Amino acid sequence: MIGSCSQKFPYYLLLDGGGGELLRNVHDRAKKMRILIVDDEKTIRRFLKATLVSHGYDVFEAANGAEALKYAVSSHPDVIILDLGLPDMDGVDITRQIRERSKTPIIILSVREDESDKIAALDAGADDYLTKPFHAGEMLARIRAVMRRLLPQSEKSLFTVGKLSIDLAQHSVEVNGHPVHLTPTEYALLKVLVLNAGKIMTHGQILKEIWDKTEDVEEALHLLRVTVSNLRNKIEPDPDRPAYILTEPCVGYRLCTDM
Amino acid sequence: MKKSKAKQNNIVPYFMSIALVAITTFMGGLIREAIEPTNIVIFYLLIVVMTAVWWGRYPAIMTSLLSVLAFDYFLVPPYLTFAVSDVQYVFTFIGLLAVGLVVSALASKTRQQAMDALGREEQTAILYRLSKDLAASDSLEAVLHTIRMNVGGIFDCRVAVFLPADHGIKPGSFDPDFPIDEHENTIAAWVFGNGKPAGWGTDTLPASKAHYLPLNTSQGVFGVLGVFFKDDKAGLDPGEYNLLSALASQAAVAVQRAKLTEISRQMEIIRERERLQTALLNSISHDLRTPLVTIMGALSSLLQDFSSIDAETRKELLETAYDESGHLNQLVGNLLDMTRVEAGALKMKTKPCELRDVIGASLHLLKDKLEKRDIQMHIPRVLPEILLDFTLMMRVFVNLIDNAIKYSAPDTPIEITVKPLENKVKIEVKDNGFGIPEEDLVRIFDKFYRAVKPRQITGTGLGLSICKGIIEAHGGQIFAKNNPDKGTTFTVILPLEMKEA
Repeated sequence: MIGSCSQKFPYYLLLDGGGGELLRNVHDRAKKMRILIVDDEKTIRRFLKATLVSHGYDVFEAANGAEALKYAVSSHPDVIILDLGLPDMDGVDITRQIRERSKTPIIILSVREDESDKIAALDAGADDYLTKPFHAGEMLARIRAVMRRLLPQSEKSLFTVGKLSIDLAQHSVEVNGHPVHLTPTEYALLKVLVLNAGKIMTHGQILKEIWDKTEDVEEALHLLRVTVSNLRNKIEPDPDRPAYILTEPCVGYRLCTDM
Repeated sequence: MKKSKAKQNNIVPYFMSIALVAITTFMGGLIREAIEPTNIVIFYLLIVVMTAVWWGRYPAIMTSLLSVLAFDYFLVPPYLTFAVSDVQYVFTFIGLLAVGLVVSALASKTRQQAMDALGREEQTAILYRLSKDLAASDSLEAVLHTIRMNVGGIFDCRVAVFLPADHGIKPGSFDPDFPIDEHENTIAAWVFGNGKPAGWGTDTLPASKAHYLPLNTSQGVFGVLGVFFKDDKAGLDPGEYNLLSALASQAAVAVQRAKLTEISRQMEIIRERERLQTALLNSISHDLRTPLVTIMGALSSLLQDFSSIDAETRKELLETAYDESGHLNQLVGNLLDMTRVEAGALKMKTKPCELRDVIGASLHLLKDKLEKRDIQMHIPRVLPEILLDFTLMMRVFVNLIDNAIKYSAPDTPIEITVKPLENKVKIEVKDNGFGIPEEDLVRIFDKFYRAVKPRQITGTGLGLSICKGIIEAHGGQIFAKNNPDKGTTFTVILPLEMKEA
C-alpha cells in the first residue's frame, strides 16, 4: 500500500528538537511532505492522491483502521488525513491511539451527520476537519495551516490577519493600527485562538484553556458565548458578519488566517 | 330494570283483593234491604275488573271466587249461610263467577300488553341512548368505552370487550374489577371462535365467572362482550337477556364500523405516504439526474477529446461540472434535512444560542454566493439567548438568504432584521426581487412546490418546507409576504422560551 516514496529526502520528525537544521530541512523539503490518506473508499483515495501528488506531496494510503495505525508509525507521515467512517475501527479511537504515540497533525474527514464524532475526534487531538464533500483548495489550505502551526512559537508572536494584528509578546491588539482595549478574559480567548490560528478550537478545549474548569459546563459555555460576542464587537469590522473569529456550528471557533 | 320484576310474586295484591271484597260486602250489607241483591253483583264485577287491571290474573280469579262466596254468605237471604232460598241466585253465582273469570283473563292480558309496551319503550330508550353515544364515539377506543359505560350502567355489572389479536383475542377495554385471567380469556376465545354465547348463565362452560356474548354482525364476529355480576345473581331473565343481546348486536355494528374507519384511515395514510414517495422519487430522480447529465457530459467530453479542446473550453467544462456537483450536494443536504425534520422534534439538539451568531455563520457559509452583495443587517446588540438547534436553524437562514439571492437581481440589497417582541423574537429576510404570486404565498411551504419556475434557477422545492418543518419543531412560525413596493419578506417568529421536548 505504501506509495512510491522517493528516498532522496530523508524524514525529519518536525517536533523533535528544533534549531536551524530542522528549519532548513523543513524548507528544503517543503514540497515533499509525506501525507497518509486513510479512507475506505478507493475513489476518494484516488482523487486525494492525484490532487496531493500534483501539489508535490508524497502520498501513502490506508484503507482501514489497522493499516492506518501501522502506517502512522512506519511511513512517518507529516500529516494524516483520516476518514471517521472506517469499517473496522472507530475514527475517534484511531485518533486517540495515534495521539498516544505522535503529534503528527490529523485532519478528519467526516459527513454532516457526524457532528458528535467530529467533536470527539477534535477533543481526542485531531487538528482540523473537512466535511465531505469538500473543495480540493480547502483541503490544501487546511494542510498548509496545520503545517504552519508546527513552526516554532517565536515566529508567531506577531499575528496579523486583515486589519487585525496581535502581538503576543507585547500583549497588544490593534485594529486598523488603533490599539484596542480587551478585558483579561477576552485577551485570553484571543490568545488561545491566535496560538491555534486556523485550527478549530472546540468549546471544550477553549473552556479548558481559559477557565480550566469542567463543572457547570452550561454556565461556562454561556460565558464563552458572551466573551466571543464582546470580542467580536471590539475587533470585527462588522460584528454581525464575523470575518476573523468564525463560528464552527456546534463545534467551536476558529481564527481566520487568510483573508 | 333490575328490580321491576321482583314485585310480581308479592302477596300484597291478594290481601288487597280480600280487603276490596270485604269493603264491597260491607257496603252491600248496608243497602241489601233497599235494593235487589242481584244489583250488588255489579259492584263485585267492578272490583274484579279493578283487581285484574291492577294486579293481574291470579288476584282477579281469587277476587271473583271470594265475591261469589261473600255475596252468597252475607247478601243473599237467608243471611250468614251458604244455603240459597231462591234458585235464581245459583245462576247469579255462576254468572258472577264466569264474568269474573273472563274479565280477569282479558284484563290481565291487557295489563301484560301494557307492561310489555312499557318494557319495550324502556328497552328502546336504552338502545337509542347507546346508539346515540356510539355515534358520538369517533375512535375504536371511544366506542369500547361507550359500550362498557352503557352496559355496565344498565345491568349494574362489570364489562369487558375482547378484540381479535395476533393469536386469538385479548381484552381491548375492561372495567378494573372484571375477572381477567387465562381461563376467562379461553372462554372468550371460544365464544369468538364459535359465535355463540358461553360462560356464566349458559349451558356452555357455566363455571366461568362472567357471561360472554359474541359481537356478531353479518360480516362476522368482531369481538366478544363479557359481563360479570358481582353479587350472587342467579341468572338473567329472558327480558334482560334480550336486551343484553340487542345491546351486543348494536355494539358489534359500532365496533365493526370503528374498525373499518381505522383501516381506511390507515389506508389513507399509506396512500398519502405512497403519493409523497412517488413525488419524492420523481423529484429526486429528476433533480439528481439534471446535474449528473451536465457533470457526465462535461467530464466525458474532456476525457475523450482532451487534447483537441482548447484550454478555455476545458476550463469552462470543468467549471460547469463543478457548479453542478455543488447543486447535487445541496440537494443531498436538503434531503438529509428533510429526513431529520420528518423524524420529528426528538432529533433536535437544542442549546442556548445567540441569534446573531446563527445568522452570521449562515452568511459565512454563503460567502461565495454572496460575493459583493449588499446585505443590510439590523440586529440589536443585546438579545436574549434562545434554545435552538444551531445547525438546523442555520439551514433555515441559509435557505432563506439563498432564496433571496436567487430570486432577486444581483444589484439589489437584501435586508435582515431581528426584532425582539414580548416573549418572542421576529426575524425578517427581505429581498427586492421578483416577488411571489399572491395565491402561492402559502403553498410555497409545501413539499416540492415551486412558485416561480424560471429555467435558470435551480431548486428542489424542498428548501422552504424544510424551513417550515424546522421552525415549527422549534415552536415558531414562518410566513411570506410580498412587499408593498418590490420583492418578498420572509418572517420567522421564534418563542424566546422554548418548551423542553
